Amino acid sequence: MASVHESLYFNPMMTNGVVHANVFGIKDWVTPYKISVLVLLDEMTISKRMTLLERRRLNKLILPLQQVPPQLHMMVVGELKDMESFFDTLPNPFSDAESEASKTSVVGLFMRHMLLAYNKLSFSQVYKLYTALQRYYDDCLGSQPGPPTAPPVDADMELSEMELTSTEDGAEGKMDKEEPDAGPMQYSELLCPLSQKQAEYFLARQAYLLKNDENKALKPAALQEELNNMLKFNPDFAEAHYLSYLNSMRVQDVFISTHSLLHYFDRLILTGGDGKSNGDEGYGRSLRYAALNLAALHCRFGHYQQAELALQEAIRIAQESNDHVCLQHCLSWLYTLEQMKGSDSSVLTEDSVKMAAHFGLPYLASLGIQSLVQQGATGGKAANMLMDALKDTDILHWKHSLSELIDISLAQTTSIWRMYGKSTMALQCAQVLLNMNSLEQVDFGVQQNNTEAFAVVLCHLAELHAEQGLFGASSEILKHLKERFPPHTQHAKLWMLCDLKIQFERAMNDGKYHLAEPHVAAIAALDQMEGLYRKGLVMKAQNQTTDAYRVLQRLQLLCEKTKCTEMIIRVMLTTAELHWESSGFSTALPLLLQALVLARQHHLQALASETILHLAFSQLMLGVPEQALNILHEAMEPILAHGALLDKGRALLLVAKCQMAVSGGREDRRTGLEQAVQTLDEAAAYFSRMGCKDRLRDTHYLQARLHHALGHTAQRNECALLFRMVDQELPPARANLANRL
Amino acid sequence: GQANHNVARAVGFGDLVQIKKQLISVISLCKERGLVHSVKWASELAFALKPLPMSELPPPAPLTEEDVEDLDALGLAKSYFDLKEYDRAAYFLRGCRSKKAYFLYMYSRYLSGEKKKDDETVDSLGPLEKGQVRNEALRELRVELSKKHRTGELDGFTLYLYGVVLRKLDLLKEAVDVFVEATHALPLHWGAWLELCNLITNIEMLKSLSLPDCWIRDFFLAHMYTELQMIKEALQKYQSLIEAGFSKSTYIISQIAVAYHNIRDIDQALSLFNELREQDPYRIENMDTFSNLLYVRSMKPELSYLAHNLVEIDKYRVETCCVIGNYYSLRSQHEKAALYFQRALKLNPRCLGAWTLMGHEYMEMKNTSAAIQAYRHAIEVNKRDYRAWYGLGQTYEILKMHFYCLYYYRRAHQLRPNDSRMLVALGECYEKLSQLSEAKKCYWRAYSVGDVERMALLKLAKLHEQLNESDEAAHCYIIYIQDIFSCGELLEHVEVSTALRYLGQYYFKNKRYDEASLCAQRCCDYNDAREEGKALLRQISQVRDQGEASSADVSLPCVFGSLSNNNTPVRRVSPLDLSSVTP
Repeated sequence: MASVHESLYFNPMMTNGVVHANVFGIKDWVTPYKISVLVLLDEMTISKRMTLLERRRLNKLILPLQQVPPQLHMMVVGELKDMESFFDTLPNPFSDAESEASKTSVVGLFMRHMLLAYNKLSFSQVYKLYTALQRYYDDCLGSQPGPPTAPPVDADMELSEMELTSTEDGAEGKMDKEEPDAGPMQYSELLCPLSQKQAEYFLARQAYLLKNDENKALKPAALQEELNNMLKFNPDFAEAHYLSYLNSMRVQDVFISTHSLLHYFDRLILTGGDGKSNGDEGYGRSLRYAALNLAALHCRFGHYQQAELALQEAIRIAQESNDHVCLQHCLSWLYTLEQMKGSDSSVLTEDSVKMAAHFGLPYLASLGIQSLVQQGATGGKAANMLMDALKDTDILHWKHSLSELIDISLAQTTSIWRMYGKSTMALQCAQVLLNMNSLEQVDFGVQQNNTEAFAVVLCHLAELHAEQGLFGASSEILKHLKERFPPHTQHAKLWMLCDLKIQFERAMNDGKYHLAEPHVAAIAALDQMEGLYRKGLVMKAQNQTTDAYRVLQRLQLLCEKTKCTEMIIRVMLTTAELHWESSGFSTALPLLLQALVLARQHHLQALASETILHLAFSQLMLGVPEQALNILHEAMEPILAHGALLDKGRALLLVAKCQMAVSGGREDRRTGLEQAVQTLDEAAAYFSRMGCKDRLRDTHYLQARLHHALGHTAQRNECALLFRMVDQELPPARANLANRL
Repeated sequence: GQANHNVARAVGFGDLVQIKKQLISVISLCKERGLVHSVKWASELAFALKPLPMSELPPPAPLTEEDVEDLDALGLAKSYFDLKEYDRAAYFLRGCRSKKAYFLYMYSRYLSGEKKKDDETVDSLGPLEKGQVRNEALRELRVELSKKHRTGELDGFTLYLYGVVLRKLDLLKEAVDVFVEATHALPLHWGAWLELCNLITNIEMLKSLSLPDCWIRDFFLAHMYTELQMIKEALQKYQSLIEAGFSKSTYIISQIAVAYHNIRDIDQALSLFNELREQDPYRIENMDTFSNLLYVRSMKPELSYLAHNLVEIDKYRVETCCVIGNYYSLRSQHEKAALYFQRALKLNPRCLGAWTLMGHEYMEMKNTSAAIQAYRHAIEVNKRDYRAWYGLGQTYEILKMHFYCLYYYRRAHQLRPNDSRMLVALGECYEKLSQLSEAKKCYWRAYSVGDVERMALLKLAKLHEQLNESDEAAHCYIIYIQDIFSCGELLEHVEVSTALRYLGQYYFKNKRYDEASLCAQRCCDYNDAREEGKALLRQISQVRDQGEASSADVSLPCVFGSLSNNNTPVRRVSPLDLSSVTP
């Protein structure tokens, strides 16, 4: 049976490099570049006076090449015989065994290879090599000041590569249909095809950048043009198809990416197959991964049904050929798919982790663990378990130097700490990641890649700073993010959402609801649930109670479907606030208690404290300030330790209110009120740091009233003045201001 | 000659004498310029028309002052040109000023570049240079021609050459414009039309061009329609051309035959090819298509005869190699077949059909990776080659990657929306993937567009049967049997008996004993269903003895005449109301 390569034997133009070489039995080809290297080596062997130590100084060695060695120049401006004589004289340095370039050394081997290859060239090939050398010399060195060179090559050509057709009878009568290439193919400059090595390097570099630092990779259109170009010169260059797939994924082009992916695997099958089918290596293997990659493609585009079918296929083929590694990959995609579809996949994920560990696939195993941790975190698993799991994977990562996963792990830890409401820990984790140098080799001067993990951590950092009222720092971080992840890149959505959220919060806290409103639509575009929630908040603030309630109801249904606990609790709290507006303090209580249970179940400390504040406020309004004070004590500590400035202020204000209410009828009323004044002072400090004028006004008002009651006239006047100043800036207060936390 | 061409526009098909005159004059013009293919085409057409009397023969084109000046140089150069010494020809034409000499000068330079390019590919300097070999002359030619083009100095022939140069430089848009201009300047030059044909990719593009109003345009349109798979329109055009008086033209006959081949009307195509062989026994062109038809019909002796005949004529032709390949393939000697397809590709690497056929051979040899490679090459040459896409789909189907092959079948289906084979293949894949509703749609669509293999309905029926949709299944079986009986062939006995068996049971269950017994009787005609048929008949008589009346449910499909008609082929029964079957 004719093998793949035999079948191509007849037509060298149609084959890839390997086959080509086999046809002529030569693996190395003499190229202009290699001649230059030979000249350099020759120069080196001639100048024997250099000591070994000096020779190691690369600068000196390369210098002759940079200055155009006279030999090369002579060859170019001279005649063909100069090149021929160069190759004739070349063996001489090696004949004596003393030379560095002895027969067995790397250099010697290279030179002998070249000689062999040169000697095998046919007559016309020699001449072609010579003209190629001249052109090479012109292209590379022509611009440098130097001796005059061979006739210049026109650079104003506006042409591209032609197809090869038989020209027996001239141009006319070509019945064969030539398909024009997609898109207009016009190049303003001379197309200079890359060599195999150059092309490989180009592809590897771009693929790496796409994964790690999209910002530095070529723009999608430019990259695609490069690739089309490359494929035009060498249609068998399968890897280019794969890069084209990755590139079109970037711009979410389902058509081209499918096309390129399948084309890649069709091509891969040719190059990988050594006649044996379904073996462990080569052909059968690439078939399995072809199906798997197709599944991944559909997953990424959200075609869940197609993804499932493709995945089933991949699994079936992998099972038939007992390829456990491939099966593990399939399994990890399976749970990813399930997760994307919104169903519970923890069992699958656990299986995947176990199996991956069993087959010694650390990457897959820890990906699985990370996925499990994420599921566990949203599903309310105990924090210590999650942290243990992450710690274990970290050990695995360091052991296997999985730098990418280390980054992800740290980013995940940051997110988890933030979710639990431990801002200090989150801050610390974020700093660890940001201060860490990547294990992989990155460009000079830069120690880190621009991966998603960094985007996530930086976003957290921005939000954390904003929470503490450090808006300057926060906007600095966002500016940095914008530079590192420009708007068109894949992770840009992260900081966009973060930026919008911060702006929204600021506008709401300032009481400038009309400014917050336009952000809602923008947020909704990036995150539907978040958008809906913010819409409810704005409506509530603008007293559109019924509409707000409707929106919140809708959101609750949505949350229950997606099992997003955080959002459910927040919706409950907001709904409770809506009850307050209609003085339904008692109706809010069951809702709040439910929220409290949920928050505690999921260890969401920040939300739990927030819920307690709400509860306390309800109790205060229901006339049991003693009870309110009691439960407030429980919440104060975490809030003061980890909470946002606003939360701290709100908590203190509430405490002050409770203190006032408690001290209402008792004898030690004065001490109670003095305590309340102190608390209010603290709260005012927080509010002013946040620039939260709306609440500042309330605080000053209360302060003034308290001072008045205590008879501190001076302080009272001062507070009243402050109140008046803030009040003038703000729109008139809402009627039911008292019904607010 | 210019005067002649202006006349050409006004002449319709009514005046065959005028057409013949024009053909004769354009033949001599092309001959002088070495445009052999156009000469061949025009001569074939001229041969099909009645000979002109002595007095009617067109006078040779008048010589200009410049022509006379260049006469000797031109004669010398033309002789070198004919001997393929292009550089030499160009050298002696350097200073000539006549248009004829200028064209030959430029054309020689172009051909010299092409020849060198071909030669160079053989000793390229290794993979680095791969694909870098180019016709070095093109650039200069383009510069010179575009200068002249701007000043309007180009005549029809040089415009054509300019277009060719542009196309070779991949400047396709400009090339189309120039070719259109060339057809206006010289409508009778078939080469320009043919080049245009290769550049037009869709019907919209064709409609947007303003082409000269000349009788030759109908030939072009017919050719174009064939290329764009608009076979019905193409056949109409060719028919009208035949009626206009070109009935003897071998060119038209071959084109019609190819068109019939494309819509898989095998009988028509075969008879036309046989006619063509009679008229033009030493013809090699299109014989590969002929052999495809013989292959499909498994006509071994005829294919063998054709192959031997062609080998005698010229064994180093692409077509000959393809025919021999087909011959070996039919004899199941697939290695040898692949070898001959390879030889065809050696002769012309851009020979699309050979790549695809080679892919088929590798498929037969179960060498899937080589097959994939061959098909991919075919697609590289022509992205619209539906057979290669279909072949790729089949390859992956053999590898049991049913989801993976969907993509390829879909591509093939896009290119041939009315080809039932792709639809059936798609349906089978969907069935394998348990996407039954999709599968049903595919089968039904396959039936609707005219299923040649008659498998779609049967598969649809089985699918319905599987889903316990007995009414729909019965409907499908009925149409299937109608189809089979109405065309008078009884090829697929097994499947017919399956259908009859099911229908018998179906009618029995629905208590329509007359129809049931009819089906059961027919079952007895087939070996594999005889026992069941008899059993069913017994059951029916048993039930009838018990006095149970036939159900008179009119909503059930009616039995058709063909069954009771004792095997005599009948005309197609009017189609039943199939609304309930549509998935």
